[in-house]
Amino acid sequence: MKTRHLKLFNSYVPYQSENPRNLVTNKVISIMASAVYFCDSKGYPLLARRYRDDIPISAIEKFPTLLSDLEEETNLVPPCLSYNGMQYLFIQHNDVYLVAIANSMSANAAQIFAFLYKLVDVLGNYLKTVEEESIRDNFVIIYELLDETMDYGIPQITETKMLKQYITQKSFKLVKAAKKKRNAARPPEALTNSVSWRSADIKYKKNEAFLDIIESINMLMTQKGQILRSEIIGEVKVKSRLSGMPDLKLGINDKGIFSKHMDDDSLNNEGASVASSTTDKKKNNIELEDLKFHQCVRLSKFETEKIITFIPPDGDFELMNYRLSTSIKPLIWCDMNIQVHSQSRIEIHCRAKAQIKKKSTATNVQIIIPVPEDADTPEFKYSHGSIKYVPEKNVIIWKIRSFPGGKEYSMSAQMQLPSIGNIEEHKAKRPVQIKFQIPYFTTSGIQVKYLKINEPKLQYKSYPWVRYITQSGDDYTIRLT
Amino acid sequence: MPPLDKRIKKFLKNSIRVAPKISDKGELAELRAGLVSQYPQTRKDAIKKTIQQMTLNKDVSTLFPDILKNMATNDIEQKKLVYLYVMNYAETHPELCILAVNTFVTDAQDPNPLIRCMAIRTMSMIRVDKILEYIETPLRRTLQDDNPYVRKTAVICVAKLFQLNKDLCIELGVLEDLQSALDDSNPMVVANATASLSEINDMDPNVIDLKTLIQSHVSQFLMALNECTEWARITILGALSEYSAKDSLEAQDIIDRVTAHLQHVNPAVVLATIKVIIKNLPEVEISANGLTMKKLSSALVSLMSSPSEMQYVALKNIRIILEKYPEILSKELRIFYIKFNDPLYVKVEKIDILVRLVDPTNLKQCALLLTEMKEYSMEFEPEFVSRAIQGLAQLGIKYSDERFVQKILDTLLELVERDQDSIKDDCCISMCNLLRHSPSNEKLAEQVCSLLNSWSEPDAILRTDSAKCNYVWLMGQYPQFFPSLQAKMDIFVKLFKQEESLTQMSILITVVKLHSKLPGTMLQHVLELATQETNELDVRDMAMMYWRCLSMDNSEQLVNDLCKTIPPQIENTLDKFSPELLEKLLLELGTISSIYFKPQSDRRRRTITYQNIVKGKHIDELQDLAKNEIESKGNNDVLLDFDDDDDNGEGDDDDDIEMNSTSNGNSHLADLDDLFDFGTAPTTSEINNGVSNLNIRSDSSNTQSQNNPKLSSNTQDLLELF
Repeated sequence: MKTRHLKLFNSYVPYQSENPRNLVTNKVISIMASAVYFCDSKGYPLLARRYRDDIPISAIEKFPTLLSDLEEETNLVPPCLSYNGMQYLFIQHNDVYLVAIANSMSANAAQIFAFLYKLVDVLGNYLKTVEEESIRDNFVIIYELLDETMDYGIPQITETKMLKQYITQKSFKLVKAAKKKRNAARPPEALTNSVSWRSADIKYKKNEAFLDIIESINMLMTQKGQILRSEIIGEVKVKSRLSGMPDLKLGINDKGIFSKHMDDDSLNNEGASVASSTTDKKKNNIELEDLKFHQCVRLSKFETEKIITFIPPDGDFELMNYRLSTSIKPLIWCDMNIQVHSQSRIEIHCRAKAQIKKKSTATNVQIIIPVPEDADTPEFKYSHGSIKYVPEKNVIIWKIRSFPGGKEYSMSAQMQLPSIGNIEEHKAKRPVQIKFQIPYFTTSGIQVKYLKINEPKLQYKSYPWVRYITQSGDDYTIRLT
Repeated sequence: MPPLDKRIKKFLKNSIRVAPKISDKGELAELRAGLVSQYPQTRKDAIKKTIQQMTLNKDVSTLFPDILKNMATNDIEQKKLVYLYVMNYAETHPELCILAVNTFVTDAQDPNPLIRCMAIRTMSMIRVDKILEYIETPLRRTLQDDNPYVRKTAVICVAKLFQLNKDLCIELGVLEDLQSALDDSNPMVVANATASLSEINDMDPNVIDLKTLIQSHVSQFLMALNECTEWARITILGALSEYSAKDSLEAQDIIDRVTAHLQHVNPAVVLATIKVIIKNLPEVEISANGLTMKKLSSALVSLMSSPSEMQYVALKNIRIILEKYPEILSKELRIFYIKFNDPLYVKVEKIDILVRLVDPTNLKQCALLLTEMKEYSMEFEPEFVSRAIQGLAQLGIKYSDERFVQKILDTLLELVERDQDSIKDDCCISMCNLLRHSPSNEKLAEQVCSLLNSWSEPDAILRTDSAKCNYVWLMGQYPQFFPSLQAKMDIFVKLFKQEESLTQMSILITVVKLHSKLPGTMLQHVLELATQETNELDVRDMAMMYWRCLSMDNSEQLVNDLCKTIPPQIENTLDKFSPELLEKLLLELGTISSIYFKPQSDRRRRTITYQNIVKGKHIDELQDLAKNEIESKGNNDVLLDFDDDDDNGEGDDDDDIEMNSTSNGNSHLADLDDLFDFGTAPTTSEINNGVSNLNIRSDSSNTQSQNNPKLSSNTQDLLELF
């Protein structure tokens, strides 16, 4: 009888607790990592900060085995591993792993990765390079930063400029330590203000702002010159050397930003917007996609009025980036001709052409051509630049320091292949990669119309500077067939 | 000269003994000397070195009292260092931290906000419930602090306290303070309070009514959103995505207010914004959706230029979003083309998205993707190639036009002929899938079969169960195209026992189906194998059923009827979520569960583990505990030393130890007592007590030293010892 009674009672419990509160879905807003670790290249911990005690201390000890077990089986090692209810999320930087462990699947993975990257960024500002050695040399400062950037697994303050004002431990790699006033280290007032990235007491003799507009071109081409994919990734970098709390307003020739007041309705109407884009082309305005702004830009103001306004952090920062997927023709094109005479030699002919305006010049051009692993005794013929065989990477690199627009240079190379072995093997088919820079030129045609600087209290004279450059992105390649 | 082995022995003996101990003891002593030095810089350096040792996993807990002496300082850097040290031991040696409690309380009133924060932050991490009682006043005070930097730290401390001692937390009433922090003028405080509340709600959903709280603060959240750090934005956006709008007007308003954040540079902010929009999107009128969709699309695309790990999360989430809104990225196929330097885990996910994204009504797009996929299938990383080959079949089935399927099949056939064994499994499965999609196309079937028939040892070429199963199925389906049918079946039947369940089943069905074409002995043999030699229940049951059928009167008719049924044409090989699963996943975008497609709401809620909490001890008891622990450590240092020095003179030892440890202990005690000023000054009797304790212990020194590791880790044990 007793047991039965108990059972009844038990089954009664959920019914009893059926008040509205319990119907709340127990999802979680922002569970974060329970601990952050720095591990060496094998995955063994160098330094740890545990933010909460809901994971066992031994959790990290499993990480190297998890990694090596997986690597033994497959090349496919995703950046998050799960073991025994523990979630390991990690990124790699130089020779270290940054590992975050969470004990719940509802941890925000995007936030954790974003935080780990930010952490590398912050540490990079303190230690110059984040690698095993610099971590070993700077335990103390890393602990301090870990405590300030995250509390109980919730990211807090990651603005390096501000952190540097009150985390002032000397690091070993830091050439010039922040000026240290004894016992003055307090959290800067501004830290929790709405302008959390700048303190008010900055002073410069000469007030200047430098804008760098850098466009990286990613392009995938076939050997015949067909363009499979192309995109422009642009960045606007600012170096601010301005006193006080200046308010900046940036004008660029973006269609969305400039024509806003002219065709307000066009956004709601596909047809109209297409029509207006043709008229806009005449006015030399372009349309940027996926604009992304730094923390300091007033996003809602941009959203409603299409004006880029901001109070900049002091020093260098990336104000905005954008992407354009319009098709463009290759800026540097290589006509490749590769002939493999099996078991004897490989012949490579390459004709490079700078398909840019006559007055522009591409600089630091590198054409990186893959060659078979077992090739040797290279012979080169070329008209310009220099050629180097890099056996570690199985490539030959043709460097041309300066490549004026409209010019065409060529080279040919021949390498010996071993006469034995070499059965039809399936190696990575590597593409030809091209690197270059073209100063004073943007592919998208983006232009800065103005940069207005206004410091309401100080009212100083200021000097904005602008510089443009186009360069190859990390994937400017010609696929070989 | 002694013999070699003795020399080696001696050498080993010396080296093993000497090396670790000298450095160990030497360093500790050196550090201790540094910590009590009269020169401030030397002390500071010593603290730094101690922290260094601590990081290298050396036990420096014995230095605790010496470190604490450096806590009362005006040098904030030094203070921070001491806090670092204390915080580290807060977890493993909570009882030691009792020694610092007084300083914490004082520091929580320091004029410097940084110190106030450190004090409260550290205090709320120490797992000793009696210490937690001391937290009341400082916590209350810091929650109302003038400085928002302190307040934002204090609100998180409430969640920490809750985790350590829920009842105390409720009793103190700080939860009310925490809830009112949602109305704080500072957005960072609001964000941290939100995070803290959601943590508490996660640990115990009955304490606060999070949903109502969020509901009543939506406008505050929307206001704060524009003014806070990127991380705070993520928290606030997270809270907003928990909120269900009252009507379409409000939903539209929320969407309008958050949309700007799609342009934030931090991809996690972007993803959190996407989540809020997607949550509200079904509520608003469809006419207004076009523009929002466009913005969502370009935000998703922009995530593809973030770091690889972030792309991985984004791709997994795009997979979820695509199932709800299939057209959202239809113009952006090329963005997902593989870059040669993408890591493998990104490449594989990209193929999945490409196949899902391609518009089956757009021949040009499909053809482009086909050439692209063909390119991928000739790469060298096996996982990638395998996925690309499966992708080819999926693409063919999706586009479905007969000529297109033919084209894909040609590509696959070409691949098989490259004579690379590793890809044959995937090719075989893919080709069979294509044939299942167009079962009426004999020409395709003939091409495939004639190629597969040319393999002399299919069982050796194919490695996976599903590939073998497909091969056998194909023979059963198109026996007319397999000239060497019997020989092939022989091979499979011979290896029946080694095969896995799918292949066994397939062999059984095929043999039954083709019993008129194959020798009768084979049928008998297979039925016997399948009923007697297999561990697979399904296979056995199936075999039983066939056997019964075959032994019935009209067996021929019956079996024909059974085997003749044409399998349905497959229309889609892309897996889909169930509608319920999809809705759940959409609410968990960005989380780890969205990467594994396993919604958290399905699973058991996370259990909260309380580790190492020292409970139910009086503060005096704890003080003694702490003292004893340090003493015992001190003792053991010395003891080990003595053990080391002598090999045979054990008799005299005890006295020495007693002398030494007592004096040692005394000095420690004196140190410690300096630190305690909990009101009453320590009486001499307490010290005596301590000393007598020590005497007892040093008598049993041998057992003690054996127990050493336990001692340091487990205070419970220590208590029992007395």
